[in-house]
Amino acid sequence: MSIFDNIFHYIGQLYTDRLPYFPTNIRASLMIILFCVIAAIEIYIYILFKRIVKMREEKQIKYWKEHIGNVLANIIVYDETDNTAEIISHFYPRFKKIPLGNKIVNQIVVNEILLYRKNFTGKTAEVLSQLYRKLNLDKKTRKKIANRNWDIKIEGIREANEMEIVELASAIIKYTDDENALLRMEAQAAYIKLSAREPFHFLDRARERILDWHQVVLFEIITKNKKLTIPSFSKWLYSPNDTVVMLCLKLIEHFTQFDAEEELKRLLRHHNPKIVKKSVEIIGKLELANAESFMFEIYFDQSEEIKLEILNAFGRISSGQYADFLSSRIYSTDIKIKKEALYAIKRDPDNGKNKLREIYNQTTPENQALIKHVLDDRIKQE
Amino acid sequence: MREFLVDFEVLFNNSIFYYAIAVMISYVIFTLLSAVEMNSYMKKNSYVNYREILVSPLAPSVSILAPAYNEEATIIENIRSLLSLHYGNYEVIIINDGSKDSTFQRMFDYYKLEKVDFAVNYQIACKEIRGVYKSKLPSFSKLTVVDKLNGGKSDALNAGINVSAKDLLLCIDVDCIVQEDAILKLAKPYLEEKYQVIATGGVVRIANSCKVEDGKLVEVNMPRNLWPRFQVLEYIRAFLMGRMAWSRLNGLLIISGAMGLFDKSVVIKVGGYDHNTVGEDMELVVRMRRYMYEQDRRFKVVYIPDPLCWTEAPADLSILGRQRNRWTRGTLETLWVHRDLFFNPRYGVLGMLSYPYWFFFEWFAPIVEFVGISVFILLAIMGNINWEFSLMLISMVYCFSVLLSTVAIFFEEMSYKQYTKGADVFKLLLAAFLEPILYHPLTVIWAMQGNIHKLRGKNNWGAMTRKGFKKEVVNQTENTAT
Repeated sequence: MSIFDNIFHYIGQLYTDRLPYFPTNIRASLMIILFCVIAAIEIYIYILFKRIVKMREEKQIKYWKEHIGNVLANIIVYDETDNTAEIISHFYPRFKKIPLGNKIVNQIVVNEILLYRKNFTGKTAEVLSQLYRKLNLDKKTRKKIANRNWDIKIEGIREANEMEIVELASAIIKYTDDENALLRMEAQAAYIKLSAREPFHFLDRARERILDWHQVVLFEIITKNKKLTIPSFSKWLYSPNDTVVMLCLKLIEHFTQFDAEEELKRLLRHHNPKIVKKSVEIIGKLELANAESFMFEIYFDQSEEIKLEILNAFGRISSGQYADFLSSRIYSTDIKIKKEALYAIKRDPDNGKNKLREIYNQTTPENQALIKHVLDDRIKQE
Repeated sequence: MREFLVDFEVLFNNSIFYYAIAVMISYVIFTLLSAVEMNSYMKKNSYVNYREILVSPLAPSVSILAPAYNEEATIIENIRSLLSLHYGNYEVIIINDGSKDSTFQRMFDYYKLEKVDFAVNYQIACKEIRGVYKSKLPSFSKLTVVDKLNGGKSDALNAGINVSAKDLLLCIDVDCIVQEDAILKLAKPYLEEKYQVIATGGVVRIANSCKVEDGKLVEVNMPRNLWPRFQVLEYIRAFLMGRMAWSRLNGLLIISGAMGLFDKSVVIKVGGYDHNTVGEDMELVVRMRRYMYEQDRRFKVVYIPDPLCWTEAPADLSILGRQRNRWTRGTLETLWVHRDLFFNPRYGVLGMLSYPYWFFFEWFAPIVEFVGISVFILLAIMGNINWEFSLMLISMVYCFSVLLSTVAIFFEEMSYKQYTKGADVFKLLLAAFLEPILYHPLTVIWAMQGNIHKLRGKNNWGAMTRKGFKKEVVNQTENTAT
């Protein structure tokens, strides 16, 4: 017998004849060894198998992507007619030759059409939209939206959004307040684009949180979409959902909606400090001088963060009414407050810098260092 | 006597066996948790368009803090790389920690620096700041250089915090290669979690033998040297399995010192980095966590599996040994300083799970191993060893270790697949077989050395020599090391 035969024979005996006679820990060890060996071998095989499959898939994807891309590029450069129907009937047979029954190929066609649709407007976009429908891809999109899995639903919503399939807006609205945050956001983003009459209707019914991340996304969509009719966002500042209020505040700031002044004053007494801070910031940016007294009233009851924001707002408004108040703040024990007050004084376009120079000659060395800091334009304000 | 030795051997075998089983069960649980977390992250993030946060005025602002000590050979390139990251609202603060070479002069000349009248608000104690500098060139307006007296990495980071102007702090090692989209990915959890996020970390990878051009990683290769290759395996296991699982449990105790994004307000509240430990990265996270518990505030520390930062691993055994020695001392110091957390229900997951786990399975494990091996050798010399049973127990631990590494490689294959060449994966799988025999015993010895050095009161970083990505660069560190 060779050495390997001996080893196999020994191992065989361990797991058969001798196993019942070993102490518990040794039996457990043998079982763990067996499990580890089998699991490791399975993983090796799986990795190898997965790599081979992936390689084949990648080849297939590369081929079809190139082929479909070529056909779509031909549509773009096709100049024999301007008639959309004629262009589609010319290219439709070429698409019919593509094996759309194959899941991977089907998804490549969808992705490529979406990509081209995103990058072109006018006639080309129209042709691609109609081609999408003619290939019955819109029906698949509808099915995806109705799917049980949230990730498939998102895929469908994205397709509807990119292809601007407006009739799917009614199917999408129900997900705008879904428990799943990702699905909710996708639905909200799509609804804004697809709902012609009431793109912001979802804000009326939003009970779930609009996460900060989603606010970034929605903000981008709303502010970049030139076709949208922008409403007065102040009407949602009464929403019981704080995240709706926050989003609307950001939009009020972006679209400089002065009509929100009264609501902004009211929000200075809101229970959520983030909303108070944002309201103060907007009051400053919109330079709402009438709101200064309201900010002054609440100043002493606020956290340091909000106090800094109020000082900043006074600086932006620079009405002169609170100049003494700002000057008094530079004797605060909090360096941040001092610095912010100095910046606020500096903001006065008429006399800010001179005022600081005047204070410089009369104040403490610590304040002098701060004034030098504030007057140095190479340092950006925190 | 003979009878006693036999009884002792049985007791010894059983103790080691049950301890090993406990460790293995914890690894199995962590593997499952991390699989769930990875899967959820990959699924969620496949729909994310990071460009939106890149251009948005609503994105959180970030200060990058990078301490530099004797980095003259690479500092210009490192800063250039940091200035070209994909993010809108950020600043780069390089803290020259009293370098003895021409690090500061090179920055001064190349970036056309000039001193500004910066009034530093010393919210956190740090050594004297000699000056704050800005570039005269508008294209480098994001750059701020702080020149200070030497005080070590923690001190340099604290000085950077005092100068920073943004809401989040990205603390990094200046010689790391940072992925261009790193800030975008690290900042995202701050915008999407229900509770306040106080820190986020990403996966740190080994860059040895990788191709680097203009401070950017252009080709990922498996390290040619065996020791960094073992570390690749070790890092994949630690980051993709361990830390992802802890992130799932919201029990992370460490965000790598090479790269971590922190909530500035909380960092300031807890007093910044501790100067008295060599494990300042772990200590800060533990202190931030306990502060949040003490304030009764709900929070999260998040880890993301994306490879965001590439670092050069020590290829020389003596340097590697010093690094691991320091890590052990850092762990021990943190565990000692925060010993009141041990099974303290007031601190939730931190007190009841994370701390005890680190105590029993991270700090204590090498000691158990060392004692186990020593007693085994002693018993063998005395002829009191059942060799067949011992071999079975050792085989069990070995097989489990190989399986664990294999699963880690599997995770890597199913997720980011950084090693595209089949040969590289094969090398990694081979390393999984060799690691428990060649590499692991060394880590046990280094950990033991670390414990002994700590008991003897040794508290320095130890010299670190780096080869550098471009050319041979000797970076003798005194206090600041990575």
